[in-house]
Amino acid sequence: MIQSATDHSMIHPDGDGDSHDQGAGQRFVHVRVLRQDAPGQESYWERHAVPYEANMNVISVLQRIAALARAEDGRQVPPVAWDCNCLEEVCGSCTMLVNGRTRMACTALVDKLLVENPEEIELRPMSKFPVVRDLVVDRSRLFRALERVKAWVPVDGSYDQGPGPRISPEDQEDAYPLSTCMSCGCCLEACPQYTKIEVVRREGEGEEEFAARRKAAFDHGFIGAHAISQAVLFNGHPTGKMIADERLQSLTAIGGIQMCGNAQNCVAVCPKHIPLTRSIARAGRAATVWAIRKIFDR
Amino acid sequence: MSANDSAESFFSRHQFLIYRLFSLSGLIPVGAFLVVHLVTNASVLAGPGTFQSRVDMIHSLGPLLVPIEWAFIFLPMLFHAAVGFAIIAGGLPNVGSYPYVGNVRYTLQRATGMIAFAFIIWHVIQLHWMGAPLGGGKFDPHHASSSAAVALQPIGVTILYAIGVLSAVFHLSNGLWTIGITWGLWTSPAAMRRASWVSVIVGLLLGGAGLGALAGMRSVDVEQARVIEDRMDEVKRMLEGQAPAAEPTVRGPATGSPADSPALPVSSTGA
Repeated sequence: MIQSATDHSMIHPDGDGDSHDQGAGQRFVHVRVLRQDAPGQESYWERHAVPYEANMNVISVLQRIAALARAEDGRQVPPVAWDCNCLEEVCGSCTMLVNGRTRMACTALVDKLLVENPEEIELRPMSKFPVVRDLVVDRSRLFRALERVKAWVPVDGSYDQGPGPRISPEDQEDAYPLSTCMSCGCCLEACPQYTKIEVVRREGEGEEEFAARRKAAFDHGFIGAHAISQAVLFNGHPTGKMIADERLQSLTAIGGIQMCGNAQNCVAVCPKHIPLTRSIARAGRAATVWAIRKIFDR
Repeated sequence: MSANDSAESFFSRHQFLIYRLFSLSGLIPVGAFLVVHLVTNASVLAGPGTFQSRVDMIHSLGPLLVPIEWAFIFLPMLFHAAVGFAIIAGGLPNVGSYPYVGNVRYTLQRATGMIAFAFIIWHVIQLHWMGAPLGGGKFDPHHASSSAAVALQPIGVTILYAIGVLSAVFHLSNGLWTIGITWGLWTSPAAMRRASWVSVIVGLLLGGAGLGALAGMRSVDVEQARVIEDRMDEVKRMLEGQAPAAEPTVRGPATGSPADSPALPVSSTGA
């Protein structure tokens, strides 16, 4: 195919210029967004086109869409809603499905996405969590799982307990990658064993009643790779391991580590490259030992 | 309602234990049985006499054979299948969106599990004496090679057997790898990679044994095998102090004498 050299004056060299050109040399990025107006409502596709700029990421595309507040066909539409915060892949809030795969929108660079698919960029909300609006999802279950495994060091008290035990550099090096988890939920989204739990508030149901019912539903579901890895992190910490048995109790309760199907998608999609499958196998070993101890030591 | 609740809470409370027993049952006894079964069958490559003596060894268990079959093969297999189907029903394969090697293995593990289960049901009906009322039960332990050879002769049956055997072999070899992770035997990515190679080698060896057994059964000269088997049967009876002419007391449909034409296709049962 012969490319026309004239059209490429303001376009980066690796794109297929024709499909993005509109009018006099202006190039557009076409975006298809799966929108949803409110929880429980039907979702629908909407097309947007924003002028191409160099070095855009998906967040800046969404910012342009919000500024335009028009769909590609010219209809005035409410801006697409999304979550973001740090814009440097450490806060974990902008997870969405970009071209069908879970990732952080802030590090999804438009130039690279257009190499992948020059026609358009497809944005969808995460499929494993209830949609709040458009690309915003409710990740309460993710945080509830961290509560289930007590993903913290219990040091609360009314007096100074003195300095904690020393941790060897080797242990620090081992634990550090696990501590970089930002609760983005990519591992859960890509996990074939982690399926969506959406609890809808019943008519006339009180706030507390609903919260209790939702918590019970979450507690029957799979805790997920992130929580298993955090349990391993805190069970390896000299102070955190004081409640190691409580964490193992949670890891072997319903929806615990046994739900893992070893697809290992979690480790493949983790933006922080956390060795999640190593954590899962270590937790599996700890659970094996713990279960044997529970049978024979009582 | 309350019965339903208590059943649910039973499985909820013991989910970890049930899943671990599921994992273990895949290796012992079901996986171990598959290894013994395929290696025994592959002995047909050394001739019908060798295979017949292996079968005789198994059948020397006499009245213990049926309880052993149920306790160590059928019941663990049914348990493994029941839990396996529940696990498959709870998952949501996504290999289209995430085509990673691990995810392909995850998906194949489930697919081969279901294929192997369907195959084993058909296989048991076709060859095991329990399948006789359904038009199967073609395997005659006194004429091991020849009866198996006749049953496996149609090319369609052979192809289905190859698919079924290879599914079971993949399921076991890949299962070895996942069992190691589940129980915490190999934990680091490097150890998992090494374990992957072990499961590849185990899979190739077992697949070779399975396909070898299949090819061996197909290449048996039925008439010649019958002669050998009849002679072996005669010797056994003499050793047991029975009259050589006694009516065979096989539980299966030991139809046809050695003189019967064995090349006729066997109807491939109601599967």
